Amino acid sequence: MKLNWFSPLPPASTDIAHYTTRVLAALRRHAEVTLWTDQDKWDSRLNEHAEVRRYKLRRMRWAELNRGDMSIYHIGNNPLFHGSIWQVSQRHPGLVVLHDQRLHHFFAGLYRDRWRDTAAYLAQMEFYYGEAGRSDAALWASNQGLKIDEMAERYPLTLLALENALGVLVHTEEAFHQLTGVSQRPMAYAPLPFAAALDRKPGQPPARDKPGGQPYRLIVFGYISNNRRLDALLKALADLPERDGFRLDVYGQISDEREVRALVHGLGLKNLVRLHGFVPETELDAALGAAHLAINLRYPTMGEASGSQLRIWSHALPSLVTEVGWYATLPANTVARVRPAHEIEDIQAHLRAFLSEPTRFLRMGEEGYRLLEEQHAPEIYARSLMNLVARAEQYRNYSASERLAHKAIREVSAWTGGAKARETLQVLARKNSLIYGKTKEERHLPWLRDSALFKRAMRSATLQRFVRALGDY
Amino acid sequence: MRILIATAQVPFIRGGAEAHAEGLRDALRAEGHEAEIIWIPFKWYPPDKILDHMLACRLLDVTEAAGLRVDLLIGLKFPAYLIPHPNKVLWILHQYRTAYELWDHALSDLIHWPNGAEIRDAIRQADRQILPEAKSIFANSGNVARRLKDFCGIEAVPLYHPPPHASTFYCAAEAREYLFFPSRLNRLKRQSLVLEALARTRAAVRVSFAGAPAEPDYAEELQALARKLKVHERVEWLGEVTEEEKRRLYAHALGVIYTPLDEDYGYVTLEAMLSSKALITCADSGGPLEFVRDEETGLVSEPTLEALAAAMDKLWAHPRQAKAWGERGKALYERLDITWPHVVRRLLS
Repeated sequence: MKLNWFSPLPPASTDIAHYTTRVLAALRRHAEVTLWTDQDKWDSRLNEHAEVRRYKLRRMRWAELNRGDMSIYHIGNNPLFHGSIWQVSQRHPGLVVLHDQRLHHFFAGLYRDRWRDTAAYLAQMEFYYGEAGRSDAALWASNQGLKIDEMAERYPLTLLALENALGVLVHTEEAFHQLTGVSQRPMAYAPLPFAAALDRKPGQPPARDKPGGQPYRLIVFGYISNNRRLDALLKALADLPERDGFRLDVYGQISDEREVRALVHGLGLKNLVRLHGFVPETELDAALGAAHLAINLRYPTMGEASGSQLRIWSHALPSLVTEVGWYATLPANTVARVRPAHEIEDIQAHLRAFLSEPTRFLRMGEEGYRLLEEQHAPEIYARSLMNLVARAEQYRNYSASERLAHKAIREVSAWTGGAKARETLQVLARKNSLIYGKTKEERHLPWLRDSALFKRAMRSATLQRFVRALGDY
Repeated sequence: MRILIATAQVPFIRGGAEAHAEGLRDALRAEGHEAEIIWIPFKWYPPDKILDHMLACRLLDVTEAAGLRVDLLIGLKFPAYLIPHPNKVLWILHQYRTAYELWDHALSDLIHWPNGAEIRDAIRQADRQILPEAKSIFANSGNVARRLKDFCGIEAVPLYHPPPHASTFYCAAEAREYLFFPSRLNRLKRQSLVLEALARTRAAVRVSFAGAPAEPDYAEELQALARKLKVHERVEWLGEVTEEEKRRLYAHALGVIYTPLDEDYGYVTLEAMLSSKALITCADSGGPLEFVRDEETGLVSEPTLEALAAAMDKLWAHPRQAKAWGERGKALYERLDITWPHVVRRLLS
């Protein structure tokens, strides 16, 4: 089995690059993997597990991709890291791994900011969400109306990433259930992988000293945008009478650093908070090893599972998370939850609890480590992925027939006048797939058959014959 | 019986497949049947067009014509052999080869398209699903039958047929000093392999190529190659020749050389046998290997320049041996009962 793997690679500053490193060692036991990248540089240690090939969108070597059994595309919300990958996926069908469940940030960033093609963005919004979607998008594009997070909530645009997919892998059960309802492509859920340290026996978390004297070290890390709730944490800390019992270290790039610095200054936290910026991985790991409590808040969430959370657990570090999306599904003994509507109140309560019962939090970190071992082992992930690859291979010929169906219905619609081509395509887009069952009868596009539009169109004898002919494949 | 023959044709291009369909039509008519050919125009690029043609074939209704029942449909070529009919017999010339044995070959185009694998799988799936609709399946040759079995798990019976005007081939009393290579100028036929081998022969072997180029500029490309290899004075480019001229060229040749890559069947082999000529072919040439017995009716060479050059030298140096091998080839042809009445009997049985 040969796999083409399209993902950001280290040192790209995204956890998806680290994810690739984590899964690669396990995956190579099942398949020969070629890493495809448009980055100028990558971590040379990757070459131990896989061949790394550079690509340029304008000069793709399709034959080389076709010689593989499946191409696997990693899609997340950063257009910088995933824009080219999505573009390749549009031309060469493959399996899509969704690292975010809502992709509006990605597509808006790609169309509006990178390509400066607002018209195309609006057209996609209209295609998927009709006139209302277009209208809201137009307002947003002119910096009016909804905020980007609200746009993502209302118009996730996830199906746009799956248009050409032969299969879809997601990292949260919520995403799995939602997408299963709207796409008939082979789909699987696999918990995000993260290897526990190799030099440790199973079930044995890294030893953490019982928290001794104050101050305790709090840590926030990763790409710090608004939804990481750093402002709420700072306010909670500032208002906490016991605040001198803590120190806060922030690692990673901050989307609006000036504003954060001003807030730290304004709240009088200068002596308690330190912004380290982006640091090497080893330094971050050392900081996680020395920290006592991680703060890993997200609100709103784009529906993603968090590689950062797994990294926290790999250090058996207790953590606070927002009670939303994937984080809300985590076992109560592995994290402490913060309700979005009571952020400051809950953060303060947990910090006080930490001061009074530090050993309870120590156990929380150990439980998180055990969960990591049980559910997030890269080997388990690699097996799930390979099972999905096998199903996606079977789907490849259906995918080609799907395009044929689009074309044929558009053609028939053009001359019958009974069903408008665009309206037909919107139905197709919403349903997003033909359904091919095991028996010939089941193959007759049941979702289309049930739609009023289809019933109208089926008055055409030609279309009736077309559907029968397609069912023969 | 009222019989339709379904085949595909690339407009303005004519080759063995067209002669095959016409030969079958004439043979059926000679046996007293009403027979017509349905020519499906075929365009294979961009690859999505292939699926369009497949669907178009599936939508055709040839069960009746002007109120009269069509008793039998004989499918020959992809995608025409997908046309449905309740009484269908397939006699498959070949499948869509770049979706199968030529997928990852230097001459393949499909693999270079971004959605090539998707189209390949759709073609394969359609073949697997639809070919078994037929009441019986014959293949043009053992080679085609083997591919059907290997790729689709479908059993087919090889059924040989004679080349057009089979009875008119003859052998002249005296052979002249040239090897004859009659075929369209086509990368799959590998005229270039012969040119490069020619540059390595010890004797001044001469080769006469007859046939029109299958793609624009290919004739010029081959001629330039001959000049580059400095064999152009030992090569004759005859272009497209008449049937009569072709038979004359066979008749006077010292031997015939034919080196296609994995040919389905190949009239050239049979025409050489009918002309009592020894034939040089390659071990990867496919169809010809079903007829050429190495050192009995010709020479089977490895597809390397050195081996092919040695084979040409050998035939060139031993004209009496070449004559004897040619006569054995003719005798073998007669024993195989490669006749249209035999074909019609099998297809209608």
